[in-house]
Amino acid sequence: MRIRLKLARPQDGGGDEIADFELPEDPAQSGISGTWEGASVSTALQYLQRKVDPSLAYVLSCRRGLCDLCAVRIDGKVVTACTTPLRDGMLIEPTRASLQLRDTVVELSLVRRNRI
Amino acid sequence: MSSARIWDVVVVGAGGAGLTAARHAREAGADVLVLNKGLAGRTGATITSGGGISIADSTLARLGFDLDPAADTEQDFAQDTIRSGRFIGDQSLVTSMVEEVGDALGELITMGVKPRVVKRAPGHSSGRGVHIKGPDMQKAVTTAATRAGVMFREDFVSAGLLQGADGTVVGVTGVDRRTGLVEEVHARAVVLATGGTTSNWRLRTAPEELAGEGHAMALAAGAALIEPEMLQFLPCCVLAPEIWKGIQFPWTIGPQAGVRAWLLNRYGERFLHSWDPVNVELATRDVVSAASAAEVAAGRGSPNGGVYLSWAHLPRDIIENMPLWSKSLAADGRYQGFDFTPLIERIKSGYAIEVAPAAHFSLGGIHIDVDGSTGVAGLYACGEAAGGLHGANRLSGNAGAQMLVQGRRAGVAAVRFSRRNWSLQPATNGDELHARLVAPLERETGVAPLELAQRLGALTDRALSPIRDGARIDAALAEIADIRANALPRLAVRQRDATYNRDWLAAIESTAAVDVLEAALIGARHRRHSLGAHQRADSAAEDDRPAPFHGLVRAQGGALAYETRAVAFPVLAP
Repeated sequence: MRIRLKLARPQDGGGDEIADFELPEDPAQSGISGTWEGASVSTALQYLQRKVDPSLAYVLSCRRGLCDLCAVRIDGKVVTACTTPLRDGMLIEPTRASLQLRDTVVELSLVRRNRI
Repeated sequence: MSSARIWDVVVVGAGGAGLTAARHAREAGADVLVLNKGLAGRTGATITSGGGISIADSTLARLGFDLDPAADTEQDFAQDTIRSGRFIGDQSLVTSMVEEVGDALGELITMGVKPRVVKRAPGHSSGRGVHIKGPDMQKAVTTAATRAGVMFREDFVSAGLLQGADGTVVGVTGVDRRTGLVEEVHARAVVLATGGTTSNWRLRTAPEELAGEGHAMALAAGAALIEPEMLQFLPCCVLAPEIWKGIQFPWTIGPQAGVRAWLLNRYGERFLHSWDPVNVELATRDVVSAASAAEVAAGRGSPNGGVYLSWAHLPRDIIENMPLWSKSLAADGRYQGFDFTPLIERIKSGYAIEVAPAAHFSLGGIHIDVDGSTGVAGLYACGEAAGGLHGANRLSGNAGAQMLVQGRRAGVAAVRFSRRNWSLQPATNGDELHARLVAPLERETGVAPLELAQRLGALTDRALSPIRDGARIDAALAEIADIRANALPRLAVRQRDATYNRDWLAAIESTAAVDVLEAALIGARHRRHSLGAHQRADSAAEDDRPAPFHGLVRAQGGALAYETRAVAFPVLAP
């Protein structure tokens, strides 16, 4: 399976970079049960950071679509990465460029006015 | 890096307990800062909780609910809690919970939260309590804390407690994930509300971030962990596909709903008959979890390391009519963020679902008194991070009550201490904490933090599953010693950029996990008899069973030491 990540990184001069990632044939070797189609986008991001690109930034908390921390834009639609199954060729982007902090991580703070 | 500002109270963790503590501290006049590893209001286990808050009917009647006050008293509530905890719960904490949760709920109602009264609560002798959905509860405490004027640092990974020459806690050291800088935050009192240690188990219901840094910080500062071996598992959680791993949906539409689904091993045997012939699959959560894990350990499990939950013996009408009775089973198949229609269809066409017990709640934790004090000057703990209340098992809804009552107690006590600790001593361990934190980041080559995390995951599954034995516990302790000698000193982050550095986070979390897991293993080794959540395949002879005792682990002379204490029974004796 192949997925595409749109990664804008300041150190790359601010331009958007669309990187293609090939997920290996056998997910079991990475401790993932079943097929990639049965795994979530969050699982793929976790796998890529662990095995392919240690610098990849992603966030994940509840793993069940309740906290919205892992929100991303997939093929144009904003969804939670943890509840979205992987599809071949899908494009994963930050939800909104103006909110982007790093890679898929965006500013979703609920307490911005009380932050120091 | 160090900021000159001194906060009266710093709270670590922004779940229900932490934000309750922070709000009460703020309302008592303190300057309060909350440090949270992720985004406040979006991380922590409060959001994922079932939403129960246990309260005696008599208390609810006082709050204006239409219930018979004689049907269920605070004393009944206390006794159920103590019995469920197999008489090792700290009865002073139990008394505080049952007596004070009413006021806490009253406050939530004043804030506009609308709880639903619970009709049936497993293990409780009455319905006992109310229900507030996890996300609604988190929203209420977040809003209340911000309105009160509590301040926040988000994406701040707290990793060590600053201490003065006499051991008084004077602040927190941690990493700002956004800037990649190690920072000191100075405080006259610190409240740990970091939740449980459940993310060290590979199959878990709880969120990602609960590795136990708060527990490790408390140990390093001189506090004790009580009953660290006690971890509650939720049985019958999904094993596969990966996307649903750890979700308790089959449990909620099966045994938890009272539906007579059968648990079968790979031979098709209803193995719970030999554990609880009367209740069978409707046995308590600890029994169902231990029985399921024992089947897998004996080689009688399913391909993915679980057992089968089957509805196939039931007439199709009963299965098709389940949505009429089950609140969890909506007509569209949605449960939490998922569409479980494919799983329901599988059940309808006669297949069983592979399930296994998942780590759910840390029963043990940081040792506190009724005010949340850890015994270390300036250090408090509350909520799931704190141990002792539930003993060897937890009743549904008692975590919600715990977080509200202990949050207030710890917040108020921290303010009182902060007033005595006005002229703050300088920290004597700041450089040491800083050096320890940055070491894995600066090391060029060595052990990748994720390799250590995976090793710890495998170790936990082997030795701290719902069914345990002495040989596996001893082997795991030997492996922990090897990790301390050979892996921790060689931990090396694979990328140099310190901002949003996942490897660095994993290094901090696994370093804490080593302490937490060693404490759990030590507690497990010394508790030689099965008790509640701690089930041993090699449980010692019954005529040799000691009187109920507490097991405490603390750091002494560079190692973790174990001691026991007799349990006091001011409310109810066995």
